[in-house]
Parts: sequence; C-alpha cells; structure tokens
Amino acid sequence: MKNLLNRLRGVERDVLESPPDADAPFYVAQADEIEIFRAAWTRRLPVMLKGPTGCGKTRFLEHMAHVLAKPLVTVACHEDLTSSDLVGRFLLEGEETVWQDGPLTRAVKEGAICYLDEIVEARTDTTVVIHPLTDHRRQLPLDKRARIIDAHDDFMLVISYNPGYQTVLKDLKPSTKQRFVGIHFDYPGELIEREIVARESGGLDPDRVERLVAAGRRARKLKDHGLEEATSTRALAYAGELMQAGLPPRTACRAAMIAPVTDDPELIQALEEIVAAHFPESDEETAAVHG
Amino acid sequence: MAEADDLVAIEEVLQQLERVSFVAHRDTRAALPAIREFGAVQARFWIETARDLFLHDREAGKSFLRHSARLAENSGVVEPWTGQAREFLQWVNSHYALEGFLAQVDRVWRAWGEVGEREWFAIGLRWCGRSLADARAYFETPFDRLDGGQGVSGLRSLIEPAERLFDERGLTLDCYLAGAPMARNMVGDAGLLSWARRGADLLVAGRSRGEAYFRMESEEGMRLLLEALPGYRARLHGRFLQLLLLAWLDAEIPLADGDWKPGEGRPMLETDGRRLYLPAVFDSRDEAIVAVQHGAAHLAFDSYAREHIESLFARAGMEHPPLDDHSRITWRPLFASFGEHMFRFQILFDLAEDLRVNGRLHFRIPGFLARLLQLAQRRELPKEPAGSYYRFALETYVGLREELRPLRGAGPSAEAGRAPHAPPGTLDHRLRGLLKPEATVLDAWEVAQELFADPAFPEIGIDQRKDAYLPGLSLNAARPVYPQRLRDGDLSDFRDVGDAYEEHRFVREKQEEAPEQAPEGAQKDPDADIQMPREETSGSGGRIGVGIPAPAQVAKRGVAWQPRSGGIPYPEWDYREQRMISDWVNLNERVLDEQAPGRAREILAEHAATLKRLTRGLEMQRPMRMAPLRRQMDGDELDTEAVIDFIADKRAGLSPKAFIYRRRAVRHRDTAVLVLADMSTSIMARHPGGEGKIVERVRSGLMLFAEAIDRIGDPCAISGFASKQRDQVHYYWLKDFTEPLDDAVRGRIAGISGRLASRMGAAIRHSVRAMQRVSSQHRLLLILSDGRPADYDDGGDARYLHEDTRMAMKEALDAGIHPFCITLDPSGEEYLPAIFGPGHYTIIDHVDELPRRLPEIYLRLRR
Ligand SMILES: Nc1ncnc2c1ncn2[C@@H]1O[C@H](COP(=O)(O)OP(=O)(O)OP(=O)(O)O)[C@@H](O)[C@H]1O
Ligand SMILES: [Mg+2]
Repeated sequence: MKNLLNRLRGVERDVLESPPDADAPFYVAQADEIEIFRAAWTRRLPVMLKGPTGCGKTRFLEHMAHVLAKPLVTVACHEDLTSSDLVGRFLLEGEETVWQDGPLTRAVKEGAICYLDEIVEARTDTTVVIHPLTDHRRQLPLDKRARIIDAHDDFMLVISYNPGYQTVLKDLKPSTKQRFVGIHFDYPGELIEREIVARESGGLDPDRVERLVAAGRRARKLKDHGLEEATSTRALAYAGELMQAGLPPRTACRAAMIAPVTDDPELIQALEEIVAAHFPESDEETAAVHG
Repeated sequence: MAEADDLVAIEEVLQQLERVSFVAHRDTRAALPAIREFGAVQARFWIETARDLFLHDREAGKSFLRHSARLAENSGVVEPWTGQAREFLQWVNSHYALEGFLAQVDRVWRAWGEVGEREWFAIGLRWCGRSLADARAYFETPFDRLDGGQGVSGLRSLIEPAERLFDERGLTLDCYLAGAPMARNMVGDAGLLSWARRGADLLVAGRSRGEAYFRMESEEGMRLLLEALPGYRARLHGRFLQLLLLAWLDAEIPLADGDWKPGEGRPMLETDGRRLYLPAVFDSRDEAIVAVQHGAAHLAFDSYAREHIESLFARAGMEHPPLDDHSRITWRPLFASFGEHMFRFQILFDLAEDLRVNGRLHFRIPGFLARLLQLAQRRELPKEPAGSYYRFALETYVGLREELRPLRGAGPSAEAGRAPHAPPGTLDHRLRGLLKPEATVLDAWEVAQELFADPAFPEIGIDQRKDAYLPGLSLNAARPVYPQRLRDGDLSDFRDVGDAYEEHRFVREKQEEAPEQAPEGAQKDPDADIQMPREETSGSGGRIGVGIPAPAQVAKRGVAWQPRSGGIPYPEWDYREQRMISDWVNLNERVLDEQAPGRAREILAEHAATLKRLTRGLEMQRPMRMAPLRRQMDGDELDTEAVIDFIADKRAGLSPKAFIYRRRAVRHRDTAVLVLADMSTSIMARHPGGEGKIVERVRSGLMLFAEAIDRIGDPCAISGFASKQRDQVHYYWLKDFTEPLDDAVRGRIAGISGRLASRMGAAIRHSVRAMQRVSSQHRLLLILSDGRPADYDDGGDARYLHEDTRMAMKEALDAGIHPFCITLDPSGEEYLPAIFGPGHYTIIDHVDELPRRLPEIYLRLRR
C-alpha cells in the first residue's frame, strides 16, 4: 500500500540506495564536473545540475554517490507533488497513527544525497520546504510534527534544473537559485559520446557507433528551430540498443531519435534525411540480412 | 462559252485595276498565272475577290495578292480560302486579321484538312464579329500554338473559355491568348476556365494588373499555375530544405523564390551570394535536395569569394570586377573573350567548379554524391551537343566516387554501391587537381581552359546549354553576385546581410514609379542572365533582423535639439556608464488610426482552416476538459490519499483542514498574456523565406492569436510599438485587457503597418507596467519581433539598446512577469540568448508559419 501510494506520487525511487560494492555506474566526465562536485561535497553545499535532458545528469549523480560511498535518494518531481510527499505524513496503522518520514526527511536524517529531479515541476509551496536546508542552517522544518530537524553532517541536496521552453512560467526564483552551486552539463563531445554510446548500447560495432553519433550531432543543430529538445545522448544510446537488438539502423533511429521528439512533419523529414545519409540504403539491406 | 465569259471578266477586272492602282495591277498579274491553273471559274472568282478587297481596303487587297500564289500552290485549292477571304469584306479595317489569316491558312489546311481549316476559320470569323483586335490576335497566333498538339479539338477547348468570358466579362481574346497556351500546358483544359476567370476579375480591378496576370508577369498569375505544375514544389518545402542546410552546413541561408517560368528550360537554382533562389518546381525531391546542398556548397567553399573573383578578373585583364549598382559582380565581361564560344566555356567552367565544391561537400554530407549520381543516371541522356557534356560529367562523378572511397578510410562511407548498369567511372586526369582541398575557383578556371581546348566538347548554343548540366547542378553565374569573404567551409556566421532599410526604400521607390512598361516591346533577352545584371524583380529584399542603421543624431548647427516631452517618462540603462538614466525616454500611448475591417474579414477567411484546427486543439486546454482537482474542500468523491492524511493528522492530534475531496473540474490556469509586436519599418519588407510582406503575417498572427485566446478566455492584450529617437516612443494598444474582442479590435489588428524604429526596452517597461494591473497568477509577455532592437539615435552602437532591453527584461522578471520573445529574425541566435536567456525565445524560420505558430507557442507556454 505504501509503495503503491508512493509510486502513484511519483516517488519512484524512494529508497535509500546504499552504495553497492560493485563498480561505480559508468560515467565519462565531460569537463571539470567531478572536481566541482567533490569540492561542493566537502563543504556540503547544495548543488544544481543544469543542462538539457538526457545528457547524463542522473548518471553523473549515481556515479558520484557511489564514488563518495553515500546513499542516494532520488525524487522525480511533478505537478502534484506536495510537501507532504517530500517531508512525510501520518499514516493509519490499525488504531494507531504513525508518522512516516518522506524521502527528503530520511535523507536529511541519515545523511544521504537527496536528488530532486526537475524541481521546477513541483508546486511552489513544495520548493519552500527546501529553503532552510540550503543555507547555513541546514534544517528541515516538519510542520505537522511541530519539529525542526537538523541535517545529518553527510546530508547533501542536489537539484536538477533544465532551463527551457516549458519552464518560462515556472522558473525558480533568483533567490532560490542563488543558494546552489551550479554545474553546467551539455551533450558530450564526439569522442566521449562514442564511448558512451558504444558502452550503453551493449557493444554496438564502432562503425555504426560513429555514424550514429555523427547523425545525432547533426540533428542537434536543429534545436531551437522547432526542435525543443535536442537529440540526447540517451536517445543515441537507445538507438544503439535497438540496433543491437537487431533493428535496421534507420528504423532504430526513427524509433529512438525522431518519433519521441517531434510531430512536426518538416522536422521529421529533415531528421530522417540526416539519418538516411549516415545509414545509406545498402547498409539497411545488409543489416536486414544479418539481423 | 462559259469559260470565255470568265476570261473576258478577268480581263475587265485587270483593266479596272490598272485604272485604280499600279500596284494592284502589277501584283494581280504576278499572281494570276498560279491561279489560272485552277481553271477560269476559280480564277474569275479569285480576281473579283482581289478587286473587291482592294477597293474595300487597299491593305487587305495587297495582303490577299501577296499570299495568293503561295496559298494556291501549298493548299492545291483556290476557292475555299478565297471565299473565306471575301468574308472579311464585312468589316472595315479587318486587314490585320486578314493578313494573319492568309499568312497561315495554307499550313492549317495541310495540317488539319478541309474540315479542320473550316472550323479554324469559323472561330476566327466569330471573333471578327466581336472585335477586330481579338480576331487579329487569333489569326496572328500560330495555329499550332493554339492547339496544344491536340489538333482542332485542342483549338476548340482553348478558345471556348475565351468565348464564354468575352460574353460574361468582356475578356478580350487578345489578352487571353497572351498566356492561355502556356497556362493550358500547366493546368490542362479543365483548369483553363477558372484560370481565365480569375484573370478577368483582376482586369476589372485594374487593367495593367490583369494584363500582367495574363502575360504571366505577375506573381499572381504565376502562382496559380505553378501550383498546378507537376514536380516537387520547393516553395512548399522551404523550411525542410532550410533545416537541411542548418544541419549539414550550420548555415542559415535564406531561400527565396526564383523567377523561373515554365518554358524556360530546366528549372535551376540560382544564387546571388546571399540567398539561394529556388525555381517553383524541381523534377523531384531528391533534385531539390541536391540543388540546395550544392548551392550552399558554392557559398561554403568560396566560389564567390571576393579575393578569388578579383584574381579571375585580373587574369582576364580587368583590374576590378565590374559591379552593378547593388555592388554585385557582373559576369559577362569575364566570359566575353570567348565570344561565340562563350556557352561552351561557361559549361566547362561550371563543370570544373562544381566538381571542386562537390568533392568537398562529399566529406560534409555523406550520401551527397550517391544521390547526385543516382539522379544523373536515372535521367535520360540529353541530345547532342549537350549529351557530350552530360556524359563527361556523369563519368567524372562516377570516377570521383571511386576515387574518394579509399580516402574515407574506415569511416562511414555513406554511399550506395555502384549501380550495376553504371558506366565505369573515369576521373579525367585534367580534373584531378580540383580535388585537392586547397584548390580554388581559380584552379577550376584553369582546368576549364584546358578542357576548352579539347575538341571533344562540341559547340553548343544557348538553347541546349541547360541540358548539359547534371540534375541539381546549375549555371553558377546566373545572377550577379555579392562577393563573399573567404569561408573555407565555415558558414556558421553566414547572414543575410541585406539591408532592410535600403531595400525597403528600394521597394517603396519602385512602387511609386508605377511600373507601367510596355512589355510587348521589351523582348526578353535570351541571354539576360549573363549579359546584364538582372533586375531585382523579386523585391524579396528586406533583411529582417536589422533595425535602421542611422548615424548618430546630429543637430543642425545653432539649433539646439529639444527633446519632446509630455508623455510617460521611462528610464533607460546605459551600459557604458553602468547606470540607469532616469526619465530618458518619452513614451506616448497612441491610437492607431488605421482601421481595416475588410481586411480583417479576409484574414479570418483565409485562415479559417487553421483557426478551426487551433480551436480543436484548444478544446484540450479549455475549461471543457475536466481535470481532477485533488485536496478540495468539497467535491464529488473522496480523495483517498487526502482522507488518509486527514485522519492520520487528526489522530495524531493535529487539527487539519478537511481538504479531502476530489472534484472533476476545470483546472484554472490563470494566465494573462500581453503580446507586444514590433511595428517598426522593417516589417514592411518582404521576408526572403516567404511570400509577401512580413506585416501581412504579423497581422494574421495577431488576429489568430486574439481569436484563439478569446476562445480559452485568458485575459489577453495586444499592443505594438515603434520609435523615433528616445523622445518619441509610440505605444499602440490594439486591444487592452478589459476590451472584448470585437470588430473594432479586429479592424485595428488588420490595420497595422510598420513605421520607424524599435526601441524595445521602453516598450517592455510600459508593458510591464500595464501587466502589473492584472491579477493573474502567471503573467506572460510575448514579444513578437523581427530583428534587433535599434533606433535612430543609437549612434550605430547596437549594444546600447541590447543592453537596455536585457535590463528591461530583468525588471520584468523581478516584477513577476515572464517575457518570451518570438522572432522572425534568422540571426536571432546571435543576440537573443544574451537578451532573453536561453529557452526564453524561439525563432520562426518561415514567416508563413507565424499565424499558426504564434497561438501554438502561447498554448505550449501556458501548459
Ligand atoms: N557522461 C556520460 N557517461 C555515461 N553515460 C552517459 C553520459 N551522458 C549520458 N549518458 C547516457 O545517457 C543516459 C541518460 O542520462 P541521464 O539519465 O543521466 O540524463 P539526465 O541528464 O538525467 O536526463 P533528464 O534531464 O531527462 O533526467 C544515461 O542513461 C547514459 O546512458
Ligand atoms: Mg553549381
């Protein structure tokens, strides 16, 4: 029941993910983001990850949490997310009422990294509760329980923020933004992106990886000309996976890179043209035969 | 006996003629022997007809005599055409028509036989009854132009609409025939009547406008026809093609409409170094793509680089390339030294230069060569002499592909395998040097000279010239060009550097000139493309994206400039001093005096379909759709989650409020919007990426916007601004927040026009002030612009008003108002991120899309 409710609320990964012993999640650094994050961590400063969708923000954080050996709590924010969803609520258990901590509260208490993904999507009253956590007080007020709790020494708050079209009306207040250390992400450079796609797709051959990444980079040029979200690294990785699963390259690209991002017929044509140029017909046939 | 009578009669007529005219007598005697062969009866009939015509009208008689011998010989009869010629006696001054008739009746006879000829004549005769000028036009038009290859039935179907419209609307055949045969080729018999009827309507509206329509000289006339042409209509796919250039070459090269017309040979792309001019149709989509990519490659790889072109001219012995009055290079002198072999050289030069740029383009666009080759192999080999060139080019590209394959190494070689029927490619050794990355157009010239010396390339004339080119490739010197700076493949900062103000003035002056030319006289020069700078007839000039470049304000000596005041004062940000200067700007709210209710109705009618579609989309966002509201005070059902919270809180000893219901209700979005439109002069210009003027699209956009927003019921206002120095910023309310959308508002929107410059900061500040009076939770300020903020007194320092606008934007944000900029300026990328911030602007590439996009963007923003 509890899990179901949480799922309904979108608190999907409302679990303290203790760092497993395995290798750190695969992440290739793009610039100095690792150093900045480490520095922020040593001072426990709240961090804001900025950047377009699918460029590796979440992966980065998973990687850092692992490297720092800290649990990570992720909350995907959405329109209906209330402050109770973050902080906690009373639940009925038999005749009793039991207070149940929300993900934020648990992270605060236990010293985890709490990642509020797409914070601007949440209601404004929700963002208010994080305020006292972001300054030197490092406190979380639990209004319903009339208590204020001090954050664990290892607690760290991270939010993601994707300035774009859809956020014009829902931008964070400048006063809120100022409380964070900002790390800027963008799509990785060509060589790095190839490495990522090769790995994430589960070993797509270098030739197709190279074409796929080249096509993706071309497609990105159409951003702001009708394409609101550029072709992401994630989309390229998906396309690679689909090819690995035996789909012909053009079909894979259409499914992973074009269909999800636009319905605009001219853009679709232009994107297909780009894909087709990198994966010419003859390859398609070869793939069909082999796949 | 009877024959003797006839002979006597003939003699009498001859004597009679001798008395009246020396010429008539002489000519009759000259023609008579040929007629006599058909017997005395016919000869008598003939000579009496000649006399009657002569006495009726000297010119008619002379015509008749002049043609007779030939007619008799060619048609093998005398009586039929003589009888028909007699019919002209019914009218005074019919000799022009008669002359036309006589000049071709024998050919008609031979082509269509007696019955066909009789019908051809009968139709003409009916026109004599209507108007002799029309009859003349009819008989003077070669009959095989009238029939469209369909014989008499083709003639009939061509003339029928004209007869009908003559009766209905008084449309003259003269006018109709100027375009009808060509129109029929494009729209077929079935479309002819509506094509002509449209023209007839225009004639009523204005004689010269209607005539231009029929002569296919006006856009109006062509548009309808081009829409019916088979092939890939580039104009409809402008945005797609532009997106391709953006993706492949990082280039925002404006596409404009070329002036190719059917009948002018293969449609080809042209460039003036700033834009690519597309013909109305290409054979296929693939050809359009190749053409656009190749055209852009010329710009990217420096075919028109000033440096190189100057060297070319220097070699030809000219110190500087001759420029026309737009500072464009004219090509003719460069080719002049080749005299009558000019076209031969031109083709070879283009071939070499095209190979050079395509060789480089291949590395940028995988698959380019493959597509070019596929097109070229699919097309039928043109007839000689063009065929020799075509074949040579084709083999060259096949060879090039072979050549380039190893160069690409293991990397993506994105070409299709060679088609099995393709000839083995040979890359001529003379061309090899062009593939080096450092080769330039100068090398192409050298190579062309070498090829020119080779007799394997036959002489070729202008008529076959276009056929020598592979599909998608075209005359590189078709238009005079603006010389470019060296780019070496980098087009990322390519801009349409036209000058809105200059061009706008140019357009306006032209309008005032009232183009009343006599077009019959102005024979179209078959070689206009390289003989002389082509007239900028497209007028598609206004570079949008610049304000008005003006020198700093210089007051006349001794007269102190007195800034106007009396309006609302606003401060302005001076980045040089890093401070606000208070009361610097004087803003006046003004009433727009133009009202165009009629146009408003037209706009709504024109966009009815779009509006309908929008309205349907709106239903999704409108109160109609119920969204579940959670945690309500009352409602239809319990919100389980809220109930649990409530009970739990209660048990825990809190006193929670009973927000435990859910209700299906309208989710009130509570957004107010103000659209602030740039109404400066630049919107009066034409947009290179669309038809007509920008202002037309702005009007439609605002109109659709108003209608759409009215339907969702959001508080909405629309205003415009223009400025002339800091003391005269005009702010026009087209609709304020309290005003309902009525015909007065519509009329105002339809009446806007551009004037003056765009001091955007002040206008934003004023808008913000107005929006502060609105209580909505979200307040959105949509700024519709077509270029950088600029004003007459910015002293050429573009940064000044940029910085001020950026500051005004920040003030808006601080006031809780969200600005968002929608621009038509393709170069908006350069400055909008700095002013509005990433994600706070969008660029509309294709002005024709504005009407549709404007409401859409708003709806998306408020989601
Ligand atoms: N630098 C990187 N190293 C490894 N993988 C990466 C990197 N960047 C992107 N990826 C791949 O892209 C995918 C998407 O990344 P991620 O989910 O972190 O994006 P995000 O920026 O969080 O997107 P969103 O804003 O949509 O949440 C990852 O699953 C991974 O496959
Ligand atoms: Mg060319």
